[in-house]
Amino acid sequence: MSDKKIIRVEHLKKYYKGDKIKALDDISIDVTEGEVVVIIGPSGSGKSTLLRSLNLLEIPTDGDIYVDDVAITDPKVNINKHRQKMGMVFQHFNLFPNMTILRNLTIAPMKLLGVSKADAEGKAMELLERVGLADRAGAYPDQLSGGQKQRIAIVRALCMNPEIMLFDEPTSALDPEMVGEVLDVMKELASDGMSMVVVTHEMGFAREVADKVIFMDEGQLIEEGTPEEIFDHPKSERLQSFLQKVI
Amino acid sequence: MMWLSSMIGDFRFVFLDSNRYMLVLEGLFVTLEITFFAVLIGIALGILVASVRSTYDKNEEALKKQKGLGFYALYIANAVCKIYLTVIRGTPTVVQLLIAYFIIFATSTSDVNIAIFAFGLNSGAYVAEIVRAGIMSIDNGQFEAGRSLGFTYAQTMWYVIIPQMIKNVLPALCNEFIVLIKETSIAGYIGIMDLTKAGDLIRGRTFSAFLPLLGVAAIYLVLILMLTYMVEKLERRLRVNER
Ligand SMILES: Nc1ncnc2c1ncn2[C@@H]1O[C@H](COP(=O)(O)OP(=O)(O)O)[C@@H](O)[C@H]1O
Ligand SMILES: [Mg+2]
Repeated sequence: MSDKKIIRVEHLKKYYKGDKIKALDDISIDVTEGEVVVIIGPSGSGKSTLLRSLNLLEIPTDGDIYVDDVAITDPKVNINKHRQKMGMVFQHFNLFPNMTILRNLTIAPMKLLGVSKADAEGKAMELLERVGLADRAGAYPDQLSGGQKQRIAIVRALCMNPEIMLFDEPTSALDPEMVGEVLDVMKELASDGMSMVVVTHEMGFAREVADKVIFMDEGQLIEEGTPEEIFDHPKSERLQSFLQKVI
Repeated sequence: MMWLSSMIGDFRFVFLDSNRYMLVLEGLFVTLEITFFAVLIGIALGILVASVRSTYDKNEEALKKQKGLGFYALYIANAVCKIYLTVIRGTPTVVQLLIAYFIIFATSTSDVNIAIFAFGLNSGAYVAEIVRAGIMSIDNGQFEAGRSLGFTYAQTMWYVIIPQMIKNVLPALCNEFIVLIKETSIAGYIGIMDLTKAGDLIRGRTFSAFLPLLGVAAIYLVLILMLTYMVEKLERRLRVNER
């Protein structure tokens, strides 16, 4: 792991309804290249808002976000170029239902990176092979199970050759028996050295894969540390009571 | 039998004598002409207005931060669109037609063009809301997926949202045009000889209301049944392809 900070978040704030709802209340974090950062916390604590701010799907009220040392919160920055380097995986997959799996995977590289159809399909098939879904290339999203859809959604993001992957509760919408297959793909990605920020309730995954765990509550970063520090030696009372409830 | 032969006699008198059926045909042609061109204007205007409105809704927050010229331009365009929608949908079509004829184009000589303009402007407002509802009906997750891959707002619309939206709105759009055919029957208010006016004219000339008006009604009905049938077929086709 290098020391290069791929993401730096400084004093990030996101308010709704004036400043009545503080979804993010002065958050500062960073992500080093190759690092897996897992964000945990009760529902409504601002995890999604933080993750979605990283590629500006949410527009922060205040604060700065640097990606590769470029302040993407500066309105002059072309955010579309940065999003190409930041893959995102959603809770509800959000595959394009009117396109085949192969088209889902190739449309962005072809239209945005100017990759030829043959090259885009070659790369897509290679990745499909890796997640064991090569035989579904011609299917439509509706014909797949939830676990398959989410693996495809991960591959769709990977087809853009991202530098970092963002996951917002990727297994929360899945039947329990399908959680494993998605987590396995994510583990493999992590061991390949991909930088990842993952919001999840899978504490086993966090403990096993995370380099750093962040615990949030009520829009604030309460505690940050290695999985051992967070899970075995929680300092704050809020984290202790949270862990009691989920484990 | 007596009844039937007297009916045929009446029909001959009302529609065939003095080639009065020509009035009906010409009227039908005018009705179709106005509807067709008004539809074209309505689609163009409706898509334009819907684009402005949805672009504003989806980008308001991002653009506000920049406070650039783009934001103010879009802000004004959106306000204009809102006023247009409110006025058109809040006033009777006949009144709009009369305003177009007696105020806006008081000096113009082509009545049919004025009617095309007025009905096009009117239909644009309804098309705009159909298209906008179609865009809104697509799950926002689709939009976010497109943007997260790096597509611009316009590319996301073009590659992701619009192809899914078209299927949803096509039947509603066709229905809007079926409605428009009937709406144009008020064109007579500004002296246009459309199908309705033709029927009314024959009524005046023959001093018989029954056949001319029922005849005209039958033509509208057949026209609309035909179009409704086509829309239903289209709807079924779209449903089969649904994924
Ligand atoms: N569009 C919005 N308008 C108002 N409040 C919102 C909006 N989006 C999120 N919030 C609030 O922000 C807080 C954080 O939400 P979120 O980031 O989704 O939490 P989490 O992902 O941890 O469950 C919650 O209190 C939520 O109600
Ligand atoms: Mg969430």
